Amino acid sequence: MSILKKRKNESRRIIIAALVGFCAVLSFVAQASAGVQKAGVKCRVEIDRAILPAGGNQRAVVKVTLDAPPPPEKSTRPAVNLAIVLDRSGSMSGQKLERAKDAAIEALRHLGPMDIFSVVVYDHNVSTVVSAQHVKNIEWIEGRIRQIRSGGNTALFGGVSQGAAEVRKNLDGNYVNRIILLSDGLANVGPSSPEDLGRLGVALIKESISVTTVGVGTDYNEDLMTHLSQNSDGNTYFVESSRDLPRIFTAELGDVLSVVAKKVHLIIECPDGVKPLNIIGREGRIKGRIVELSLNQLYGSQEKYALIEVEISGGKSGEKKDIAYVNVSYENPFTQKKETSSGRAYAMFSKDKIKVKKSANIAVQREYNFNLNALSQEKAISLSDKGKNEEAVLELKKSAQKLREVGQEHKDEKLLKRAEEMEVQAGQIEKEGMTKKYRKMLRTDSYQMKNQQMSK
Amino acid sequence: MSRRSIIIFWLLLLVPTLVVGAAAFKLLRNEQRRINQKVRLSAQDRAHAIGDSLQLTVEAVEDGLTEALKRIPTDNLGETLSSWEQRNPLVRNSFIWNQKTGLQKPKPGSSATSEERKFILRYSSLISGRIPWKTSAVEEEQTGLIQSQSIRQFKTGRQKLVEMARQTAREYQSSEKDFKEALQGSAGWIPWFAESSLYIIGWFRKEPGGIVYGVELEVMTLLSRLITDFPLSEAVPEGMIYAIIDGNGKILHQAGKTRLKTGTRPDITVSLAPCLPHWQVAVYFIDGNMMTRSGRGFIMLSGILLAIFIVAIVFGGSLLMWQAHNNLKDARQKTSFVSSVSHELKTPLTSIRMYAELLSTDRIKTPEKKKHYLQVIVTESQRLTRLVNNVLDFSRLEQGRKRYHLEKLNMAVFLYETIKAHSLRIQKAGLVLKENISDENIIVETDRDAMEQVLLNLVDNAIKYASEGKELSIALKVRKKYCELQVVDRGPGVPFAHRDSIFKKFHRVDDSLTARKPGSGLGLSISRRLLRDLGGDLLYRPREGGGSCFIVLIPFQPVNIDDGNIKR
Repeated sequence: MSILKKRKNESRRIIIAALVGFCAVLSFVAQASAGVQKAGVKCRVEIDRAILPAGGNQRAVVKVTLDAPPPPEKSTRPAVNLAIVLDRSGSMSGQKLERAKDAAIEALRHLGPMDIFSVVVYDHNVSTVVSAQHVKNIEWIEGRIRQIRSGGNTALFGGVSQGAAEVRKNLDGNYVNRIILLSDGLANVGPSSPEDLGRLGVALIKESISVTTVGVGTDYNEDLMTHLSQNSDGNTYFVESSRDLPRIFTAELGDVLSVVAKKVHLIIECPDGVKPLNIIGREGRIKGRIVELSLNQLYGSQEKYALIEVEISGGKSGEKKDIAYVNVSYENPFTQKKETSSGRAYAMFSKDKIKVKKSANIAVQREYNFNLNALSQEKAISLSDKGKNEEAVLELKKSAQKLREVGQEHKDEKLLKRAEEMEVQAGQIEKEGMTKKYRKMLRTDSYQMKNQQMSK
Repeated sequence: MSRRSIIIFWLLLLVPTLVVGAAAFKLLRNEQRRINQKVRLSAQDRAHAIGDSLQLTVEAVEDGLTEALKRIPTDNLGETLSSWEQRNPLVRNSFIWNQKTGLQKPKPGSSATSEERKFILRYSSLISGRIPWKTSAVEEEQTGLIQSQSIRQFKTGRQKLVEMARQTAREYQSSEKDFKEALQGSAGWIPWFAESSLYIIGWFRKEPGGIVYGVELEVMTLLSRLITDFPLSEAVPEGMIYAIIDGNGKILHQAGKTRLKTGTRPDITVSLAPCLPHWQVAVYFIDGNMMTRSGRGFIMLSGILLAIFIVAIVFGGSLLMWQAHNNLKDARQKTSFVSSVSHELKTPLTSIRMYAELLSTDRIKTPEKKKHYLQVIVTESQRLTRLVNNVLDFSRLEQGRKRYHLEKLNMAVFLYETIKAHSLRIQKAGLVLKENISDENIIVETDRDAMEQVLLNLVDNAIKYASEGKELSIALKVRKKYCELQVVDRGPGVPFAHRDSIFKKFHRVDDSLTARKPGSGLGLSISRRLLRDLGGDLLYRPREGGGSCFIVLIPFQPVNIDDGNIKR
């Protein structure tokens, strides 16, 4: 019976998705990708508690989850337009640069003839080693990469700009556009504040170009790198040893090669009586009762979500109230068509506190608390930067305590494990201070948590 | 030619050479300055061209966006501006403002994003109305001009940038009628400084007192696009750096192979005002060197050639002067030699002739006297022979025709025989001969005649110059590989300055004593050359207590005494 029910539910979802999607299946290509469309991005909308206390204004957390389907096996994956931007400043000389070159070549080998590949290097100057081209003459490209030698200062802004220029050469084609930036030092030529690089990231995402940043060693500016990634919806990595570079590049490319949705745009509309207060961990816009969020790409089988804090005006006991309507629009990279998905969340109200407590959605609670923890990590960094190391440790400990309390309340292993990790980290920082390494670990960790980065 | 004339000639050569050299170096320096100036002017022109191009691009972008602002349908203003913010990389923020109601977009308050809050804070004085919306000079002067310019004149990357701005305007082609009305309105671009950074805001107002709306440019997009078409590092000459710097002197982008040291001040700056005020295109000459590689190569090569030229002239001239000096010296010595030899020949010939004439007159009756006269004739003939032998030997040695007949010679026996043959002359000169000759058999393999000539030259010198010392010692010793013969006298000795020169040909110590005594200046020179040819040497040591000591070294190897060739 249950199997039959499941099948019924599935076919119902397929029908809804097919109706909602505004791309009609007309051509052969479209038919070939019908599987993708049917198994398109699913939108789930949940609240941290299914039943809310009746009477009085209530605060709740709405989680909008986007479940990306696995990449279709039969269809050709979307072509990739990849620019690798390598730091070749003096500090990169030796093993670091060699491993970076190995990583770039490793990435190159994962690409096919339909993909576009370019390599830009920078020290105090910026130069294009491999201009944007189809991955056909692999030996020649490899040779060019092998010839890269270390140089002087770090013109990171110029490097990313040149990388973007290379990607831009093929912006009109239907590619997954990505820049992978690798750096080990502080940007000292050109704009070098996290805000400036963040603005560059904002501009690039408007052109559907994401920048993934890979920081090597403990001397790079993690704030700058995460700002750039965050604002351009790329990934960020902290690599302590250059030996891990090829692995990181391969993982990153794994993500890039499995893109199943591009230009994802979420509109969350709240009905009367529900007021969006805050977006947790993501940049977005709240316009009255409407919340707007954008994501650049979704990778195959990835789950990405947005958390919104809302205030709900008091409901009567037994009342059922709609909390949020969500519309998701995105571009299917296999069909190059716009597709949509939608979801809805509602809540019941009850005066029974036990019922309310039992109705807790642990998955939402967990992610909400993880994100709060990520924000605490950022606050701890900020406090430490101001010389308030003790307060930073206290912030981390408080966050760990909160995780532990919620974990114990819901008997959730993941929350408890995270709490333990945070306690250990807080202890280490208390003992050794906020070293460069710990700062980078906290920054990268908080970013990866907020961004739900797949490859870590 | 006198020494003075040589010096004059030398100065005549040296002074003009140095003058020419100095003048040439001065010309080279002027040339270097000229090239530097040329490089500087060329760099300045290029910086101006880059600056103009950058400004033109920014103006074109601003113009494109202004046109787009003018074309926005009024009823759809807010949404259109919001969509620009989301889609257009050139637009950072957008706004709608009314003098009466203040800012309508973005709405101040809790609903504003962090970026919007920053925007409101940044332009608070503009939004509050404290600062009026000014029409920019560029807008007044150049609107329409940029529009008419072909997009092709911009470099590839900038083409896309300008195209992006113009594309925004093209989206509203349908509202051409409204646009014509809109042309009556006022617009402008205001560069804005906040927290040491440059922001640019563009605005439009359809009618006086009406709403003002516009966009804030994304300066990082602008910079990111502008620098990709900045001169490539490969195109910048070595030793130069082109850069864009902001108002704080911070380098925003640089091109050039060399690394720039922190705190270096630019040599040339070109302002990017009014579009990007306080921003400048800067040119740095590394270590103050403005020259291009080819320029430096030319100056260096010219300098080297000039130095070679001067050195060659000075060296060649010195060589010629030295040669002339030597020739002069040789000529003098030869003249002196001819005069000396003539005198040398004349003296014994006079004696021979005088005694021969006396004998021919039959007025000499006593046989003792006759014998004495004949003896004088024989002695003077021998002297004459020795002199001629010396001259002949000198000639042979000079021409390399001298031949030696080596034979085994018992030195002690040889010395006794030779000294005995000349003992009478030595006695007559008033010298007491002291012999210190080892009795052992010292056998050397040498040329007997040469050895005899060496010994007689030394004995003659002693007779000639050291007869007042009353003492002549001859000693023979064996020292390791040499047989050493010392001829020692108590004469005046050789002055220190002449101790090396006495062995040179024609050389004579030019003091009163040698001037009084006749001589060819060949004896010691010939003796040393003979001995050196035979593997030995002739040395001079001053004698303690005054006098000379000539040391004759003859190669020596112990030889079997029974050898039949030994001459006795």
